[in-house]
Amino acid sequence: MNSAQRIIAHFDLDAFFVSVECINNPSLKGKPLIVGGRERGVVAACSYEARKFGIHSAMPMKTAMRLCPHATVVGGSRGEYSRYSRWVTEIIAAKAPLFEKASIDEFYLDLTGMDKYFNPYQWTIDLRQEIIDKTGLPISFGLAGNKMVAKIATDEAKPNGYLHIAFGREKEFLAPLKVNKIPGVGEHMYQALRNLGIETIDHLAAQPIELLENRFGKYGADLWNKAHGIHHGAVVPYHEAKSISTENTFEENILDTDRLLNELVHMTEKVAYELRQDNKMAGCIAVKIRYPDFETTSRQTTIAYTFYDDELIPKAKDLFHKLYRQGQPVRLLGVRLSELTDEAVQTNLFSNVEKKTELYKAIDDVKNRFGSKSLTKATGKK
Amino acid sequence: MKFIVSSSALLKQLQQISGVINANTVLPILEDFLFDVQKNQLSVVATDLETVMKIQLEVEAKETGRVCIPAKILMDSLKNIPEQPLTFNIDKNYAVEITSDNGKYKVMGENPDNFPKDPVADDTNSFTVTSAALVTAINKTLFAVSNDDLRPAMTGVFFEMDKKGLQFVATDAHRLVRYKRTDVSCPKTDSLIVPKKPLTLLKAAMPVNEDELTISYNSNHLFVTHGTTQLSCRLIDARFPDYKVVIPSDNPYKLTVNRTDFQGALRRVGIFSNKSTNQVVLSISGSQLQLTAQDIDFSFEGNERMKCQYNGEDLQIAFNAKFLIEMLGATDTEDVTVELSTSTKAGIIRPGDQDENEELLMLVMPLMLNT
Repeated sequence: MNSAQRIIAHFDLDAFFVSVECINNPSLKGKPLIVGGRERGVVAACSYEARKFGIHSAMPMKTAMRLCPHATVVGGSRGEYSRYSRWVTEIIAAKAPLFEKASIDEFYLDLTGMDKYFNPYQWTIDLRQEIIDKTGLPISFGLAGNKMVAKIATDEAKPNGYLHIAFGREKEFLAPLKVNKIPGVGEHMYQALRNLGIETIDHLAAQPIELLENRFGKYGADLWNKAHGIHHGAVVPYHEAKSISTENTFEENILDTDRLLNELVHMTEKVAYELRQDNKMAGCIAVKIRYPDFETTSRQTTIAYTFYDDELIPKAKDLFHKLYRQGQPVRLLGVRLSELTDEAVQTNLFSNVEKKTELYKAIDDVKNRFGSKSLTKATGKK
Repeated sequence: MKFIVSSSALLKQLQQISGVINANTVLPILEDFLFDVQKNQLSVVATDLETVMKIQLEVEAKETGRVCIPAKILMDSLKNIPEQPLTFNIDKNYAVEITSDNGKYKVMGENPDNFPKDPVADDTNSFTVTSAALVTAINKTLFAVSNDDLRPAMTGVFFEMDKKGLQFVATDAHRLVRYKRTDVSCPKTDSLIVPKKPLTLLKAAMPVNEDELTISYNSNHLFVTHGTTQLSCRLIDARFPDYKVVIPSDNPYKLTVNRTDFQGALRRVGIFSNKSTNQVVLSISGSQLQLTAQDIDFSFEGNERMKCQYNGEDLQIAFNAKFLIEMLGATDTEDVTVELSTSTKAGIIRPGDQDENEELLMLVMPLMLNT
């Protein structure tokens, strides 16, 4: 296996939304800045200056404003972000042999085998510089033998830095870090591990694998491997978004079917809005449910191409009812739209699609101005 | 019980009804045929609880009796047995032994008392129609039926009956087909929705000739009888959408084109359209019709021009090419007319000249052009 030693780089744009806002309005530079919906919204991104006040993304806007009342809040413009994201993608695509766009501001590059001709570390440093010079966006990277270690390295290198973890030194690098640095370990898992007295990654790695397996099932074994710096995930070549999805791990497992349905409506609205923002329509919808024992089930169905909430929501509910085992608490709920295609609205005999299109344009205008959660179905409200 | 039957005659009859049986059924007995022998007459029933089909054939039998025989294994063996008389021997435990010149085959049958009962044909209204007329009506409408289970009314063909005729309507909300026969007289004004599956089965089982079919119905079921072949099915219990109000009566522009030329052009240009929307733009100006399609993701482009007759203002309108191709396939005249108004309103397709006792109207909704 060692002969096939991989070289993976992970790139991540620093405070991406904030950086874009600063390019478009240089007067914001160096100030605490928050991107996100006003009033009821949450923080989508914040500048490093804002982070000093304890603000972090996904924090309710109200809390953020209490922590730093003088912060500038901007609504954000998805279109502008995806334009910059595409620009960075193009620069990477022109150079990298194989890369994966993991999200709007994150990329994995597989440089395996390049070491025969170049120094991959220097090559990656040059690529980073090129991105910074051309776009003006700060970006960090981590270079390592697999995706997970590379991602953690990027995290450590931020802001605006880079880090190379040499082969064989992964464990040494991971050892002192807190377990919640491992991708996939959320607040929930972090607490669960702390309850077991596990705080740092070396501590986690020292546990017998059986203990973790007993406690967390298959996920536990996965976690143990990650703590040892072992991860086999492949860099999947970049394609334009094939699906739009959202999922929500609940703070407490939910047993109330009505609440789950409300959650589902809310999530479907969210992905449908994103779909319309990308001028796409979806031909397939899927619902995913994870139970507290991490058993994950999902179900999908093909649909007539659409991007309207009122057509997607009944389908999502139908799938949910077919999938959900009544009376079981739910840990995670997800909705995914796939089979995306460019917008081409099929008019309907029995409903006035022209009027409906205008209605959704108006809804989306409101969402664009006041945040994606400013206008939602009453059932989707918590 | 024992009976002797011709292998090929049995196979031919069973093939007419085996389509009723679903591959994965909830009740194992639904994977069986019910064999019922009465005085040199064998009748065989297949059901999926919604649709029931029954055939009859002559056999040599001294006794009467009934048994359920697994359909798949029986069909598979009959397909491979050369034409000859087969002897079926059924014992008390419903073990079935088939004896041929080639050898003996054994299969376990099931107790016929567990087989679902046929729906009772009481309180029915009846009328007759030629087999060819029904098959034609199914061929012209079935393709437009919706697959959306959330709107059950549109997953079947709407039969509208009155003393002056019989009308078939199918729609999936994006297109609609209405096929009218005036050479049929029904006892009273009535309507019902027949699901897709029994119509597909009828289309395959009924001959395209002037044989008379008897159609009976009550509030829950439809019954179709052709000689010794019978089909019954449960009706869709839903309200068919009020389609009459959506058929425009005043589309001012008429486009007349050669049907096969138009269909050919759509097929060729459609290949270069977006695979999911199949969008083809028709640009009509004077006596020229231009068809264009593109798929931006793959940089595909298709473009054709053809002659047409047109009496309206210049118009650009987009359609799903697949819809148009299917609709043109449901007509058989040399020319078709497409009646249009604006780029967001329904287009109506009519065959050039129609027989006096039938009338076909097809309606297709456009794709919105974003400008």
